[in-house]
Amino acid sequence: MPKPFMNTPPKPEKLGAMTAGFLQEAFAGESQASQKYLAFSARAAYEGLPNVARLFEAVAYAESTHARNHLSVLGGIGDSSENLKEAFGGETFEIDQMYPAYDAVAELQGAKEARTSIRYAKSAEQDHQALYEATRTTVQTGEDMAAGPISVCPICGHTVIGDAPDECPVCGTAGQFFRTF
Amino acid sequence: MGIDPADKKLPQPEDLDPMTDEVLHRAFAGESQAAEKYLVFAEQAEDEGFPIIGRLFRAISFAETRHARNHLRVMRGIDSTAGNLLAAFEGESFEIDEMYPAYRQIARSQKNHQAVRSTSYAMKAEVDHKSMYADARERALAGKDIDDLPVSVCLICGHTVIGDVPDKCPVCAASREQYRTFS
Repeated sequence: MPKPFMNTPPKPEKLGAMTAGFLQEAFAGESQASQKYLAFSARAAYEGLPNVARLFEAVAYAESTHARNHLSVLGGIGDSSENLKEAFGGETFEIDQMYPAYDAVAELQGAKEARTSIRYAKSAEQDHQALYEATRTTVQTGEDMAAGPISVCPICGHTVIGDAPDECPVCGTAGQFFRTF
Repeated sequence: MGIDPADKKLPQPEDLDPMTDEVLHRAFAGESQAAEKYLVFAEQAEDEGFPIIGRLFRAISFAETRHARNHLRVMRGIDSTAGNLLAAFEGESFEIDEMYPAYRQIARSQKNHQAVRSTSYAMKAEVDHKSMYADARERALAGKDIDDLPVSVCLICGHTVIGDVPDKCPVCAASREQYRTFS
């Protein structure tokens, strides 16, 4: 047992290859647990179980702290300029490689709903790629991006700078349901 | 946000062939990791004095959460709450009994002290989660909600407690101000 446990998150360190590999898997596991629990929280709220919904939401947050700790040890957290580059690269991979390949499989196997889920995601990743690209240019000059709301469709994840549109151009959800940050 | 699971715009659960099921699992893993990364990147941007970039990362993290949920729905990963609590309990049990003991042992053998800390923090919190899920499942099976009490989480190590926040985190010694409370 490492001691003393200090009240700061674990820090980056030079990792053995096996440790790095498994820590990456632990990051993947915690991330998926967190997202599952958020979906389960929404389901519990829908069933009229608000206290179970709260438990799932809190535990999802706990899994997020674990995901962050593992990512920190892996050296996966840079400054914002580096983080925007990493985020842009991830979106680009999903748009150019991952989702086209996955969609080809789903089309071959006639999985209609899977194709919808993939189409929604790929469409939003294109919004994200453009937003990260524009923002990285701004942050490289040491400036924050322009202030203003950002709105996200709760069904398909369509992301726009500014207020919600009347209707989501991707999935048709009414703008009143968008979540605005 | 109360989205009706029957909303026709949502991708619906369907019977999937194994390869489509496999790629959708991978897509779920990818979206989940992106959502978590962007939350961390949001905190980093806020620490650097870029609150609007922080907002962008938070908003896009939420979008990735929508995608993760959609993929999970299609592959029938969302059940009734009683079923979800069982799935959650089983996931925590696997992490406590199998995953983290093995990962921590590797980190110890390679003398990666920070990795040992990170896996230890997680493993301890999963023990809390497992028992909370077991209790909640019994209630849900009886058609009841759990008690209306706040749930608090240590923002350093993820220690999770129902009810009063301790003066000091028993796992990592964080102060009570370093807990986030869901109430």
